[in-house]
Amino acid sequence: MQDYEIIEKIREYFEDNYELMRLEGGHAITEDIKQLALTQVLYYFTKLKDVATKVTDTEVKLTLPDQKTPKGRNFTIEGVVDIVRDDDETWMYDIKTHDTAYIESNKALYERQLNVYAHIWQNLRGQALDKTAIISTAYPESLKQAHLLNDQFRIQYELSKWNPLIELDFDQEKVKEVVDHFAEIVDCIEEKMFKPAPVEVLRSTMEGTNALFGTRVCRNCDVRYSCSSYRDYATSKGKGERGSFRKYFDDFGSDADKEEWVNANLAAKNPDDINPAEIQ
Amino acid sequence: MSEKDIRYYWNLKGFKPNPKQEKAILHVKGPLFLTAGPGSGKTRVILWRTVNLIVFHQVDPKKIFLATFTDKAAHQLKEGLRSLLGLITNETGQPYDISRMAIGTVHSICQDILVDRNRVFSPDGVRSKAPVLLDSLGQYFKIYRRSFWRELLNAGGYLYSDNIEDDEEAAQREINMYFSGSDFYSRHEAATNIISIFNRFSEENLNPSAHQPDDEILRRILKMYAFYCNSHIGEKIDTVDFSLLQQRAFNKIKSFNGSKDAYDYIIIDEYQDTNSIQEQIYFEIARKCKNICVVGDDDQALYRFRGATVENLVEFEERSKKYLNEIPTRIDLDTNYRSKKKIVNFYTDFIEQTNWAKRDGKGSYRVADKDIQPFNQEDFSAIVTTIKIEKINVFEKVAQFVFDLKANGKIEDYNQVAFLFPSLSYRGLKNGAVAEFETALNNKGIQIFAPRAGRFLEIPEAIEIFGLLFHILERPSHQGPASGGLKDYRQWQLNAMYRAEQLMAHDSLLKEYVSDRQEEIKMVKADYEALMKVIDKKKWKLENALNLDMIRDLASASGLSQTAKATLQKRAFLELLKKKQQAKQPVSLNYVVNRVTSVDWSILDLFYQLCGFKHFQKMYELAEEGIDEGPVCNLGLITQYLARFMEEYTPIITASFLSDKKFANTFVGSYLYAIYRLGESEYEDADDPFPKGRVPFLTIHQSKGLEFPYVVLGNLNKIDRPADKKEIIIRELLQKEGEPLDRISHFDNMRMFYVALSRAQQMTILPQWKGQQRSQAFKNMFAQNVYPVIESLNVAELPPSKLDNDDLGKSYSYTADYLSYQQCPRKYMTFNKYGFIPSRSQTMFFGSLVHQTIEDLHHLLISEKKKKQEA
Repeated sequence: MQDYEIIEKIREYFEDNYELMRLEGGHAITEDIKQLALTQVLYYFTKLKDVATKVTDTEVKLTLPDQKTPKGRNFTIEGVVDIVRDDDETWMYDIKTHDTAYIESNKALYERQLNVYAHIWQNLRGQALDKTAIISTAYPESLKQAHLLNDQFRIQYELSKWNPLIELDFDQEKVKEVVDHFAEIVDCIEEKMFKPAPVEVLRSTMEGTNALFGTRVCRNCDVRYSCSSYRDYATSKGKGERGSFRKYFDDFGSDADKEEWVNANLAAKNPDDINPAEIQ
Repeated sequence: MSEKDIRYYWNLKGFKPNPKQEKAILHVKGPLFLTAGPGSGKTRVILWRTVNLIVFHQVDPKKIFLATFTDKAAHQLKEGLRSLLGLITNETGQPYDISRMAIGTVHSICQDILVDRNRVFSPDGVRSKAPVLLDSLGQYFKIYRRSFWRELLNAGGYLYSDNIEDDEEAAQREINMYFSGSDFYSRHEAATNIISIFNRFSEENLNPSAHQPDDEILRRILKMYAFYCNSHIGEKIDTVDFSLLQQRAFNKIKSFNGSKDAYDYIIIDEYQDTNSIQEQIYFEIARKCKNICVVGDDDQALYRFRGATVENLVEFEERSKKYLNEIPTRIDLDTNYRSKKKIVNFYTDFIEQTNWAKRDGKGSYRVADKDIQPFNQEDFSAIVTTIKIEKINVFEKVAQFVFDLKANGKIEDYNQVAFLFPSLSYRGLKNGAVAEFETALNNKGIQIFAPRAGRFLEIPEAIEIFGLLFHILERPSHQGPASGGLKDYRQWQLNAMYRAEQLMAHDSLLKEYVSDRQEEIKMVKADYEALMKVIDKKKWKLENALNLDMIRDLASASGLSQTAKATLQKRAFLELLKKKQQAKQPVSLNYVVNRVTSVDWSILDLFYQLCGFKHFQKMYELAEEGIDEGPVCNLGLITQYLARFMEEYTPIITASFLSDKKFANTFVGSYLYAIYRLGESEYEDADDPFPKGRVPFLTIHQSKGLEFPYVVLGNLNKIDRPADKKEIIIRELLQKEGEPLDRISHFDNMRMFYVALSRAQQMTILPQWKGQQRSQAFKNMFAQNVYPVIESLNVAELPPSKLDNDDLGKSYSYTADYLSYQQCPRKYMTFNKYGFIPSRSQTMFFGSLVHQTIEDLHHLLISEKKKKQEA
């Protein structure tokens, strides 16, 4: 297959997947966001064709069975990765849609994850791995600009500058520590310990972003209104109690989010299209 | 491969199979027919047999197809297998990977076959287009919705006069008369009848155009079915219901030649409850390898009403000969390890209280020559009844007995005593004996858990939330008299409104919140009128394309709110309109009106905000601390129904949708009413169905595959009825033979009680009271035998029953569980554990879309590479 044929295929798969997810999820995303998702895949292929064509196993489900928690529960760890192999080396990667800055600042977090996956893979398949890496499909702002302007030269230039592949240190020594911690978390889940993240966490900046936890995580969480930590966080930023009550509830995301939500859904599912015969 | 043989591992696990179990486990080649009586260790046999294939015969797990009946059973098989293989890995260092094994319910495996992630059922590189699955509620709404219903009736030739409403009513009456013999006009009833016959057709893999029956009504129904099947074919993507899912998987398997190599071993559990299309699937995939193993017990067949045909099991030997040209090895797993001797003797006697012989004297409608023997040989009084006195006193004595068991430490938890009933409720109302047993237990301070006994909409959380939503979004204005069901439903609405008023009276902030939302709605409605005035005056047409000049006129409409004005003049909005115009896809005037007069929130947003008020907040706190998860589970279920409404109709609430109570009529009058009538039930956790501290009340169907130390059979009567119309139709259309129509219901009832009677380990209690109705078989049993009464038992002398702690373990995902929990345990609780539906999930949608498409791309590249290498 020629590249242009593959790109055609990507578009076709993308449309199918979009349609399937829209029907299954019952709601739409805006045209802009949809295009952004498609562009991420297309640039992934353009930029990382080398890697993509060497993939030997995609979305491999890894399982580490027969683990025990400190309180004696049995459990299994699961994860999903892609494996790339050529003549001399095998490596494992995980695709994320986070931006590279976020990943770079949270490297330790991803290392822990891929180390566990690598451990499972090497045991399961008896194949040694040479490398682990994260691939970020979120391309940089400069490329986004070039893309919007449809400036082919700049696109080429920005593409060559972009580095979506972040190699991670690969250290099997750390696996046990992570698995032990995982086991403790399983006990917490099974014992139904579900207190929210404390308000101090909400007020802190998230690693690799300029955003507070309370904004980046909580503002996207629907159960924030009933959350004691979020209430503390949202109502303690000055202003009298009365004043903040309305504001606290008048929160359906930023203006841009609201605009997007209404437009996407109005375009996809206009209530005027409901057949009048239905209503009775 | 392994130096230690399988016996070594049996030993390690303390498992001593009997000779028949051993033979079944070690069987490898050719078809195998396992009859497995109650408590005969069949799950263990299936597990060890699979282990034997994988470990000692080097069968690749992805070449094994292992299907069972429920998600719970599937989970047990999967985790059980993982655990046994893990044990062997620990000894040998040899790892096993079952993540690609086809293991699950037949429906889940069919779905996997249609998605075909492993690219087994299509030529290289071709990506399968899987259909979207409509669950049973989705199927109901598809058919029940007026517009589709009319198309369907039209396809059946029911709409012919000028008066469509009259035609519809006549059609509904005819359909209801045909199926249930009552002259009833209800569309809900008719839709429900039509759905069950459609599903049956699909499960029989029936081709509607191949039949021209004399029966005119049936001809109409077949035409409707043909229309229905076609309606699932979409422009971009198809849909299927649960029954068509199987048919579609079957067609996919059949149409691809490589399918015959997909599996080397096929194992099907609960084979007595398989239907015709499933049987066809199994024989199709076993065509080449012939290694099909079926496991089941015809005496425990329960699902004829869902199209199951017990004959698949009873006649397996002949059918295997016919389809595979091989006679299967038959092994009877007939030692019962579960129950005390007298329990086993009781139910083996019970099932023979009727005549199973075929009328021509040749054979029997049961699997012949089964000889179930109890492993336990104690002379323990395990079948117990009561003195026949007034019902209320009997129930009190039974409740006292349950109380004493716990007080004397004979059970560790109340969930070790199960109350079983042929049915728990009728049209959303608890049956008499169910309610009375509940009261008797409550009087002793014992709570019950009856997940399918009540209507979901009647639980307090639902009444409260919907009541508040009605205050904000209104409810239909009812005119005219209502019949029974509708009257109850209106009363339910009034109760909900009243309850909401009480909540608001106790929380002034909540009251303020509700009135803010009401004001907002008033405002968009007023804006709508203001804009429409301009449009009328200018004689513009709503459906026409927007001319950007119109915006100025609209924005200066008299009485228009500041908010609306601001929206109209927002730069981003104008840019969007311009862009659309330049792209020659201008929006309609209507679109702009809707955009300006829609509220910013959906009903799901309202729900989440309402949860921020203290009454609901407390429910979350109870769950956060692990004290009581009940209320939050129910709130989670409410989000699922709200999301479903948005999925079926629209998430957007516009002024035009609100006008003339259109929204209220759709949401309350149509959608919720359907849920109300379907009697959708409360939350159930598939992994953990029996909460601690409560006595489970179950239907006998729910108790399938379960065991309890003590079982109380709450009702000894089930009336035999004439054969179901669907059964008659199928027999005639497909010229099928089977159990005589006039015996079917009787046989089914016998089997159902057989299941109930074989659940108990220690004791089955069969209460008797004055004026009680009992099925004939019970009358016989009581006439022939004398059973001790509970009054005479010395509870202190009973043996203690330990809580079953069979911890198979669960699987946890690194990202979806471990990382999510660490980010925020509370967020994890709501969305991952209790299934709340998020209101806006753009980010998730985005991520999945990118990942899925990249996965597809990788598959394409992998197969391209393969082609190149081959060339």
